[in-house]
Amino acid sequence: MRLSRLGLILAGAGVLAAAVVVLRFGSSEAPAPPEARRGGQIVASLRSEPRSFNRLVSRDYATEILSLLTQGRLVRINRATFELEPWLAEAWESSVDGRTHTLHLRPDLTWSDGTPFTSADVLFSLQAVFDPRAKSVLASTLTVAGQPITGTAPDAQTVVLNYAGPSGPGVRLLDNLPILPKHKLEAALADGSFASAWTNTTPPSEIVGMGPFVLREYQPGQRVVLDRNPRYWRRARDGGALPYLDRIILDIVPEQNAELLRLQAGDLDLTSSELRPEDYVSVRDAEDQGRLRLIELGVGTDADAFWFCLKPEVKGRDPRFKYVQRPEFRKAISQAVDRQAFADRVFLGAAVPVWGPITPGNIHWFWPDVTRYPHDDRQAQAWLGSMDVHPRRVDGVAADAANVEMRFTVLTQRGISWYERGTAVLREELAKIGIVLDVVPLEVGALIQRLLACDYDAIYYRPIATDLDPAGNMDFWLSSGSAHFWNIGQKTPATDWERRIDTLMFEQAAALDPERRRQQFNLVQQIFAENLPVLYFAAPRLYYAHSMRLRGVVPSVQRPPVLWNADSLSVVN
Amino acid sequence: MTAFVARRFLFAVALVFVVSSAALLLTRLAPADVTAELALLAPAEEIARTRARFDLDRRPLEQWGIWLGRAGRFDFGDSYLYNRPVRGLVLDAAANTAVLAVVALAAATAFGIPLGMLAGSRGGLAAAAIRSVSLVCLSLPPLLTSLLLVYVAATTRWFPVGGMTSVGALDARWSTWLADVAAHLPLPALALALPIAATFERLQAQSMTEALHQPFVAAAAARGVAPSDIVVRHAWRVSLRPICGVYGIAIGTLLSGSFVVEFVTAWPGLGRLMYEALRARDIYLVAGCAAMGGLVLAAGMMIGDLLLAAADPRVRERGA
Repeated sequence: MRLSRLGLILAGAGVLAAAVVVLRFGSSEAPAPPEARRGGQIVASLRSEPRSFNRLVSRDYATEILSLLTQGRLVRINRATFELEPWLAEAWESSVDGRTHTLHLRPDLTWSDGTPFTSADVLFSLQAVFDPRAKSVLASTLTVAGQPITGTAPDAQTVVLNYAGPSGPGVRLLDNLPILPKHKLEAALADGSFASAWTNTTPPSEIVGMGPFVLREYQPGQRVVLDRNPRYWRRARDGGALPYLDRIILDIVPEQNAELLRLQAGDLDLTSSELRPEDYVSVRDAEDQGRLRLIELGVGTDADAFWFCLKPEVKGRDPRFKYVQRPEFRKAISQAVDRQAFADRVFLGAAVPVWGPITPGNIHWFWPDVTRYPHDDRQAQAWLGSMDVHPRRVDGVAADAANVEMRFTVLTQRGISWYERGTAVLREELAKIGIVLDVVPLEVGALIQRLLACDYDAIYYRPIATDLDPAGNMDFWLSSGSAHFWNIGQKTPATDWERRIDTLMFEQAAALDPERRRQQFNLVQQIFAENLPVLYFAAPRLYYAHSMRLRGVVPSVQRPPVLWNADSLSVVN
Repeated sequence: MTAFVARRFLFAVALVFVVSSAALLLTRLAPADVTAELALLAPAEEIARTRARFDLDRRPLEQWGIWLGRAGRFDFGDSYLYNRPVRGLVLDAAANTAVLAVVALAAATAFGIPLGMLAGSRGGLAAAAIRSVSLVCLSLPPLLTSLLLVYVAATTRWFPVGGMTSVGALDARWSTWLADVAAHLPLPALALALPIAATFERLQAQSMTEALHQPFVAAAAARGVAPSDIVVRHAWRVSLRPICGVYGIAIGTLLSGSFVVEFVTAWPGLGRLMYEALRARDIYLVAGCAAMGGLVLAAGMMIGDLLLAAADPRVRERGA
């Protein structure tokens, strides 16, 4: 008997010593906004219809917002601080090797229909993500070392997740996973109809969640109405129930000018995205008149990019390619552009100069010491001169000894005002060193088709990073990636520096020590800056406007800028 | 008359066939497809799956044949944007556009024709003012008109800024709902009606001036018929022929004008649906909207012809 007790104690101590590396607890109480009042409703806008009510099978923005409002996650990345917060899981432990994560669910939680929430729901959600018949769009984001995350449930309140390899982001990956109700969707998953379950024609009463709101009505082409979830688990600091609001209405307003007018008229409390630079003045006037509140979200995490197609198998015969492929050529362009003037003219002053893809808005991964190329036309011409490319006397156009002109066609997206200004400024700046740009605006679909086929000289566009954590953005960094824009989907790295980046990115994605990850990624940024496959000039400062009656706003540079924190929003009369 | 209706019916079928087939093939042959924007976000298997779902992995003519076979059974395929069958989407949107179009056409007729009669039968300052306003209305593109009206609505609060119903009408009885829809109609209906009313006014004024110079008008005046009776009872009827001739085209104009107007004013109609479908290269939705548009245009032209026959006995006698 004594031996057995000792054995238990030793076993328990051993498990604790071997497995527990990180232990996180959290209350996740929401601070009460000043003047918070319970009840009331707000009207926000959506530009497009939700394609589904099931985030697992649809990646559109409207579906994502609905998922944020109606579904819960095990953990949440706070969109303002980028810190990981306990959510449906109140605590977790990770093993030393980073492959096993044990999550403890909050007790006594229920779905919006009153059914108890258990670890079986978590396992079901994972099963649905990786069921080939479900064709989930989230499967790739929840894959570690090429393998699905698997899990077991020792009891109703505990989930043990197994990763196939160490993962730098670790538990943060679970912010991508909306937890779905097993009792509602089990049959659909079993009979293979999960992909078509919870479409936008499903009666709202069938949609059950753990989020702060429940779907009440969807009027196609007009609006989505969400009511307060009376069984929502989260509490305010004063112990009162959340959310504060009784209702959120998402009005579908496809046109951005009309959306802004409706906001100024008081028909909307929130818009779906940040303001355009040209809207800033009129909104500031409305703020001066006490009709709107203007807030700065911060520096955007994505910047406009300019790059050339560097695919040798497509561009190898182009006589200009031998110059374009050399870093000196791209450094010449980088130094020819006055970034501050670029920010002032393109974004009307609401931008900061940047020298790489990671902007100051990405506070965890931005590295201020990355190599910069200050504006210097003489140095820019010297870079060109080092390749025997000089401006011709007759017309000032840069050309080599064989009279190959440095003239390029730049594709950009039609109808976006700052793209038009950006390409116009680039054209002027590069003309000073003899590089000629002819700008061709295209519809976004045609632009991307040309991008994928490398059927272009250069492109000016703002690609959106899929994740702020570089490990979640491997498609951009890896030479084999589908978002490695300048040379997509390489079988083997085309250059030595891309090979080095590949190696470093794999290492940092699997590293568990945050500091080591940061150092490795700084090195990646430095290699990128030395080779400049993509040029960045300015990242916009993002501004957002909302109605004066809204309280509890915690702005984020990520979309949705305000609704990510919907359970803490309130209104005053 | 039966032959006339039969001819018109065949014309409608041909129009729907040609317009929807052309829309489908042109959308297919245009650069990029519905998966273009997915390409930077989604894995290759998801893109391939999406292309297969919309038959984009087949050759254009093969896809057209498949679509035609299904369309013959009134199955117009699925929409990518809305993730559901095109048929229901198009029918719902067409009903909303029909409400808007009827009101806009009625308003255009009610304002355009009397003002045209006035401008065509009298000279002076009033006629000049009407002509000037008409020219302004004709010159303004629908996008600008819509945005101006939205701006006016936003600043004056005279009518709702956009949409088809208010949030307040969510739980309302049908009569309240109807009143709410009626309150939302002025903005998009005006944006649509203004250029058509101006067209009617200009045509009516010109036609009225010509009619007033006809010998039968001089004869009526010589018989002592009052000038107002000459205009209303004699000249107007004769002058209606060009108006009836463009009535069918006006219905088509309503449809094309509704592209922008419905988009700006967030009216959930056929124009907005088509606009969004074209932007997203949502191929079956484009074809479905085009088919419905062709049907509406054919119906409009038929109505125009019937009105012409009613207004002009010579047309009736020739069997239209």
